[in-house]
Amino acid sequence: MKLSRTSLSLRARLYLFSVAILTLFVVNVATHLWGSFARSESLVAYRDAAVAAQLINDLQQGLEEARQQTLVLATLRETTDEPLGDAERQTATAQLETLRQRLGKLGALGGESTEDYYRRLFDSASQLLDEWQSFYDDYNRLERQSAVESPIQYNDTWQKLNELDQRQEALAIQRSKTIDGTITLTDQITVIGFITTIAVTMLLVILLIRSTNSSLLRLKTGVQRFGSGDLSYRIDENRDAGEIQDLARTFNDMSGKLTTAIEEVNNAKADADAANAAKSMFLANVSHELRTPLNAIIGYSEMLQDELGDPGEVNREQVQHDLGTIIISGRQLLGLINEILDLSKIETGKMQVNLESFQPAALILQVCDALSPLLSQHKNSLKLELTGAEGHTMLSDPGKLQQIVTNLFSNACKFTDSGTISVAAKISEDQLTLTVADDGIGMTPEQQGRVFDTFVQAEATTGTKYGGTGLGLSIVKDFCSMLGGEISLTSTPDAGSCFTVTLPTTGPALDPEAA
Amino acid sequence: MTTKESRPLLLVEDNEVNREMLQRRLQRAGYSLDCAADGQEALDKMRELLPALVLLDINLPVKDGWTVAKEASSDATIQDIPIIALTAHAMASDREQALAAGCQDYATKPIDFPELLIKIERLLNS
Repeated sequence: MKLSRTSLSLRARLYLFSVAILTLFVVNVATHLWGSFARSESLVAYRDAAVAAQLINDLQQGLEEARQQTLVLATLRETTDEPLGDAERQTATAQLETLRQRLGKLGALGGESTEDYYRRLFDSASQLLDEWQSFYDDYNRLERQSAVESPIQYNDTWQKLNELDQRQEALAIQRSKTIDGTITLTDQITVIGFITTIAVTMLLVILLIRSTNSSLLRLKTGVQRFGSGDLSYRIDENRDAGEIQDLARTFNDMSGKLTTAIEEVNNAKADADAANAAKSMFLANVSHELRTPLNAIIGYSEMLQDELGDPGEVNREQVQHDLGTIIISGRQLLGLINEILDLSKIETGKMQVNLESFQPAALILQVCDALSPLLSQHKNSLKLELTGAEGHTMLSDPGKLQQIVTNLFSNACKFTDSGTISVAAKISEDQLTLTVADDGIGMTPEQQGRVFDTFVQAEATTGTKYGGTGLGLSIVKDFCSMLGGEISLTSTPDAGSCFTVTLPTTGPALDPEAA
Repeated sequence: MTTKESRPLLLVEDNEVNREMLQRRLQRAGYSLDCAADGQEALDKMRELLPALVLLDINLPVKDGWTVAKEASSDATIQDIPIIALTAHAMASDREQALAAGCQDYATKPIDFPELLIKIERLLNS
C-alpha cells in the first residue's frame, strides 16, 4: 500500500491515476498500429513477390516463344530462299520490344538485394535479344549466317532468369518470415498489453479507493471522536497532503477552538457556581444573624408578658432593663437589614452619593457616642483623638462616612475583649485621614487579603464565633472608593488591627467610574 | 418556684442576653438551672454536676456544640445525659448534623418556648 503512505493530495492521486491509464492505452494503441502496419507490409511484400513471379513467368514464356520462332525461321531459311516479309519482321521486332519492356518492369520491381542478379540477367538477356534482333535484321542477307541455333546465350539468359527467380523467392520467404514474426509479436504485445492494462487499471482503482478511503476514514474517526466529546484527539495531518490535509487541519483547528470555548464556558460556570455558593452561604449567615436578635426580642417580650401576668409587685427596674435589651436587639436587626439593603444597592449600581458640607469630627463623635453600648458589651474602652479635624468642614457624603465609621468601630468592638479601641481623625492637604485601631484578635496576612471581599469573613467560622455577615468591610471599601478615597489595613494576629481610611475633603473627583 | 427534678438542667449559651433570658424563663417554669458560657465549661459541668438534661447552643467559643456533643457521647459517665441542640441555623442539614453528633433533639432560634418545654419534658420522662 505504497500510495496510502506517501503524502499525495486527492487531486494529485486522481491526475496520476488518469495519466497512468492514458499511458497504458497509448501503449496499447501504438502496439496495435504497429501490428496493423506489419500486416499491410506483409500484404505489399506478398503482392510484389506475386507480380515478380508473374513477370518472370511471362518473360520465360516470351523467351520460349521467341526462340521457337527464331528456330523455325532459321530452319525455313536453310530449306527455302523465301525472304522475310516486312510485316513479319515488324511483328518479331514488336515481340522483342515487348520482351524488353517486361525485362524493364522486372527491373523496376527489384530492390537492392536483387540488383546484382538483375544486372546479370539484363546483360545476358539484352545480348540475346540483340542477337535475335540482328537475326531478324540480317535475315534477308544470306551471307550472314549467324549462330542463331546456338543455345548458349539463350541458356545463359534462362539460367540468369531462374537465378533471379530463386533469389526473389528466397527473399520473399525471408521477408515474410520476418513480417510474420513481427505480426505474432505485436499480437502478443497487444494481448499482453490489454490484459496488463486491465490488471493495472484494477490495481490502481483499488489503490485509489483504499488510499482515499483510509484518508476519509481518518477524518471520519476524528470527527466521531470530536462528536463524542474527545476534543483532545487530533487527526494525523501528516498522513495526507492537499485538500484532505487541509480538511484534517480545519477539523483540528475547529476542535481546538471548541476546547477553548468549552473551557471558557466551564470557567464561567465555575465562577457562577462559586458566586452562587457564596450567596447561599451569605443567605445562611443572614438567616443566622436575623435569628439571633429576634431570639432576644421574642424571648424577652414573651417573658415580660408572662411575668407581668404574675401576681405581686412588678420590678420596674428589671422591666426597664429587659425592654432596653429588646430595643438593642431591634436596632441590631435594623442595622443588619440596612447593611443588606446597602449591599444590594451597591451591587445593582443604584447607590447614590449625596455631597454635603459637614464637620467630620462632630460626625465621628456622634457615631462613637451612639455605639457606646457595644463598647461596654465587650468591656472595651475608647480613646478618641479628633483634634486634627476639629473645626474643619469637608465636602463628602456624611451618611456614607457615618456608615464607614460605624462598621469599622463595631468590627473593632466585636473582635476585641477588655481592650482599647482608638479612633483618630485629622485633616491636612485636602485629605481626611481616619484611623480605627484595636488590640483584639487581629488577622493573618492571608485573612487580610480576603477580608474586604463581599460575603467573606476572615475565617469561615468567624460568622459562627463572632456573628456578622461578611458585609461590613465590603460596604466600607465600596463607600471609600465611591467617595474618591481608599482604605488600608495593618494587622498582627493576637495583637490587633488598624484600619486607615483616607478621603478627599473636596468631594470625589468627577470621574464617572468612581461613582 | 418548685423544683421538678432533683438534678438541675445545664444551659450552655455564650450570648449573655440570650442566656439570661432562657435562664429566667426556665427557672420561672420550675427548673433548677446551671449555666455554662463555652464548650469546655459545658463538658466540665456535665461531668461535675451530672445534669438531668443539657440545652446546648452550637455556636460556642473554645469548643463548639458539635464537639461537645461528640465528646459527651464517647464519655461513659455522661453519655446518657440527653442533649437538646439550640442554634440560630435553620437549615435541614443542621438538624441532621445535630442528631448525628449525638443530640437527642433540636430547637431553632428564635426559641418557641412552650415547644421547648414539651421537648424537655419528653426527654426527662423517657
